[in-house]
Amino acid sequence: MPDNPLGAELERQLETWAASQPDAELSEEIQRNVQAMLKSSLTPVKPLPSQSRLILTFLVVFAACTAGVTAIMDKTGFHLATRGEIVWMTAILAGGGILFSHALAWRMVPGSRHAFPLPFVLALSGLGVIGGIALLFPWRTSRAFVSEGWPCAVMELTIAVPAAVVFCLLARRGALFGEAGAGAALGGLAVVLALTVLQFQCMFQQAPHLLVWHAGMAAILIGSGALIGAASRHEV
Amino acid sequence: MGETPIDDRELRNLMTLYQRADPAALEELVRRISPPLLRYFAWSGPWSSNGWSQAGRNDTEDLLQDCWIRIHRARHTYRSTEPVMPWIYAIARHTRLDAYRKRRRLESREVLVATLPERFHQTVPDTDREPDAFERLVASLPESQREVIVMLKVSGMSLEEVANATSSTVGAVKQKAHRAYATLRRALGKDRENAG
Repeated sequence: MPDNPLGAELERQLETWAASQPDAELSEEIQRNVQAMLKSSLTPVKPLPSQSRLILTFLVVFAACTAGVTAIMDKTGFHLATRGEIVWMTAILAGGGILFSHALAWRMVPGSRHAFPLPFVLALSGLGVIGGIALLFPWRTSRAFVSEGWPCAVMELTIAVPAAVVFCLLARRGALFGEAGAGAALGGLAVVLALTVLQFQCMFQQAPHLLVWHAGMAAILIGSGALIGAASRHEV
Repeated sequence: MGETPIDDRELRNLMTLYQRADPAALEELVRRISPPLLRYFAWSGPWSSNGWSQAGRNDTEDLLQDCWIRIHRARHTYRSTEPVMPWIYAIARHTRLDAYRKRRRLESREVLVATLPERFHQTVPDTDREPDAFERLVASLPESQREVIVMLKVSGMSLEEVANATSSTVGAVKQKAHRAYATLRRALGKDRENAG
């Protein structure tokens, strides 16, 4: 309630302004045009499944793809890492997968309430991965830092791109607007999948290597996803 | 923040029927939702200063038609458990932003000429009516604040619904509304002083 005369006056003026619709009188012609245009392609549609079902679908595909790709790849990282490193990193990356699945599912439905806003998802996942690597893995590096590292970055890219295509196919029924957020959410989910596979595959289980070549590449890929999302002006 | 001009329960039923391809539901939805949408486009866009001219009206009507095409294409993404207007406004918002970007792209490609040909040398030639003082005040608000005020006051949406429609948080919406109110209150005070 307005607590002063000026506030009451403003409230009154706003009410009058909102109630008067001089600019919003829809011409009969426009209304008829819109109705005719839409009626010509009016067919029954099946509404999207519930939010929880969408999230579950993403998570099942995420888990299946991770398990499938890990199974066909070398598992040196899995054998070299300690039990603590494996458990914590798996938990952190699975958490990232859950958060990005939420973010992507919510973006498929316009005007829906975001349980986890994307900046929060990005920050929490980023902190989790960086913190986990920094605290769990030894801080030592070899002289062949670059030559050991770039194959990992290429491998991450090779896994993340097809994964992004798979998630894009799953999400295409939603009303994903061409925007940075949708690209980042999609890219994030694909990148977490790639990071999980790489964590089990990579033979260089040292913090500098993991931070630069795994997490660094992940950040670049998510950024690229956001840029591609913003650049693709996909009309709903 | 204002009363709800459109009953959401009825809209939800209409949307469900629309998804089942009921032409009467489609007609009713177009009839009910188009006026607030038209108002939203007229007031929220960067061309709102033209909102009272024929040129501005054509812009908003184009946007309205484009928006309905998008609503139609995305109708399967509506869930009957959710309120309708945030869903509609989220699509309307993207329609407006895309049109704005397209306009900016086109403007950046335009070739500047030293003087305009005589017959085009008019800014807003066909003004229907002059905006009143309060309309001018609202039009002077920043775009994001004006958008929030339109959704809250014209469509009677709740803070949470506006937050959902604008992919924002309730806190951010509250802050924008608060700033808009403060600006309008200051301007009204100045007007009073000048009049007094």
